[in-house]
Amino acid sequence: MKKHYISTAIITIVILITGIIASLEFHKMHVPEPLYPSEGLSSKRMLSDYFPGIRGTNGDTEVYIFDSGKPGATVFLAGGTHPNEPAGYIASVVVLENLIPERGRVIVIPRLNNSGFTCTDPMEAFPQSFHIKTDKGVRRFRFGSRATNPVHQWPDPLVYSHKPSGQQYSGLESRNLNRSYPGDPNGSLTEKVAYAILQLIEKENVDISYDLHEAAPEIPIINAIVYHEKAEDIAMYAILELEFEGLKYTPELSPKNFHGLSHREWGDYTETRPFLMETSSPVQGRLRGKTNEELILDGVSKNYKIAKETGALRIVYRDEGEQLNHRVGRHLSGFQAIIRAYNVFHGDNPVEISGLPAYNDLVEHGIGYYLHND
Amino acid sequence: MLHVIYILILIYVTFILGIEYFKEKNWKMQMAIGFVLLIFILRILHIK
Repeated sequence: MKKHYISTAIITIVILITGIIASLEFHKMHVPEPLYPSEGLSSKRMLSDYFPGIRGTNGDTEVYIFDSGKPGATVFLAGGTHPNEPAGYIASVVVLENLIPERGRVIVIPRLNNSGFTCTDPMEAFPQSFHIKTDKGVRRFRFGSRATNPVHQWPDPLVYSHKPSGQQYSGLESRNLNRSYPGDPNGSLTEKVAYAILQLIEKENVDISYDLHEAAPEIPIINAIVYHEKAEDIAMYAILELEFEGLKYTPELSPKNFHGLSHREWGDYTETRPFLMETSSPVQGRLRGKTNEELILDGVSKNYKIAKETGALRIVYRDEGEQLNHRVGRHLSGFQAIIRAYNVFHGDNPVEISGLPAYNDLVEHGIGYYLHND
Repeated sequence: MLHVIYILILIYVTFILGIEYFKEKNWKMQMAIGFVLLIFILRILHIK
């Protein structure tokens, strides 16, 4: 009997130590990494200022406003819709830390689904963070989940029915922000966040809006710019201009019957012209192999090289890898090309910005060169 | 409301499993029960 008590005590201590270590690791995911906005920043607000229903929740997030003080159009840039797609998040951080508005306004939300940054997807062995070297040290960024943290919104329904279309998705998608627009002020946390974003777009009279993403190399919309039909002229002009710079993007018209997505609902429910951009991210793919920080940063995967060579699937993968520098550079060049194209068609109400690097700058100097530590 | 019901069920299962944990004589089984309990407790405490 005495032996039983001793083993119980030892095992309890082992499990308690394991629990404490796990809790501390989980806690790290709830600590937001500091961001350092450029001197062009005019004001900082919270998303809950547009819809108080998310105040005090893990869905609330920072809204950075860059106002030139000169009349012009308003641009909205969203990173971190899916926190497991680092190029979208980091591209918005590079904009945040370098942008100088010359005319009009730019609104940046780097962590659109703030709750998704507090966990990783289960069963995927994703690292919790990745590190980027800068001139003044190393910066840590969280690698989050595609969806809202289940601790903040749980349980999932068996079938998720999108409001108001009634389109049905798997239950897991109820926590996917990019299946939740236009949102519901009385719905789940994800639907409330989606509703708050629509309120922001409407109240700030946003003219152009971006939602930055990534996807697995085998997904058909890789390296695409998805656009709403009312922004077709701008999208085509920008894609042609990018082609002259040696960057190929596929134009993808937002399907009218694919509901809940930003490129569809932002355009349908507000006056904005939405664009969604995708890059190829091997760390998200089913064939990726060993999943670690190097795969996020360097994007080198032997499996995808082999898969591409077989020709069995359409795989967008470069032999040298899909580096984060390259992926962020594509987003930044696409972002700026769309603004230039907008100005061509709306010369009476343009938006002008400066200070941002383009694709070649990112490839030459790396992301760290454009990140600041103070 | 559904969330609260799930948590109450989880507390009940954790309680039953906790009794089994302390009754169990085989240390290997006890270890296995203990780690399952750990996951349940983290979930009840909303740690993820």
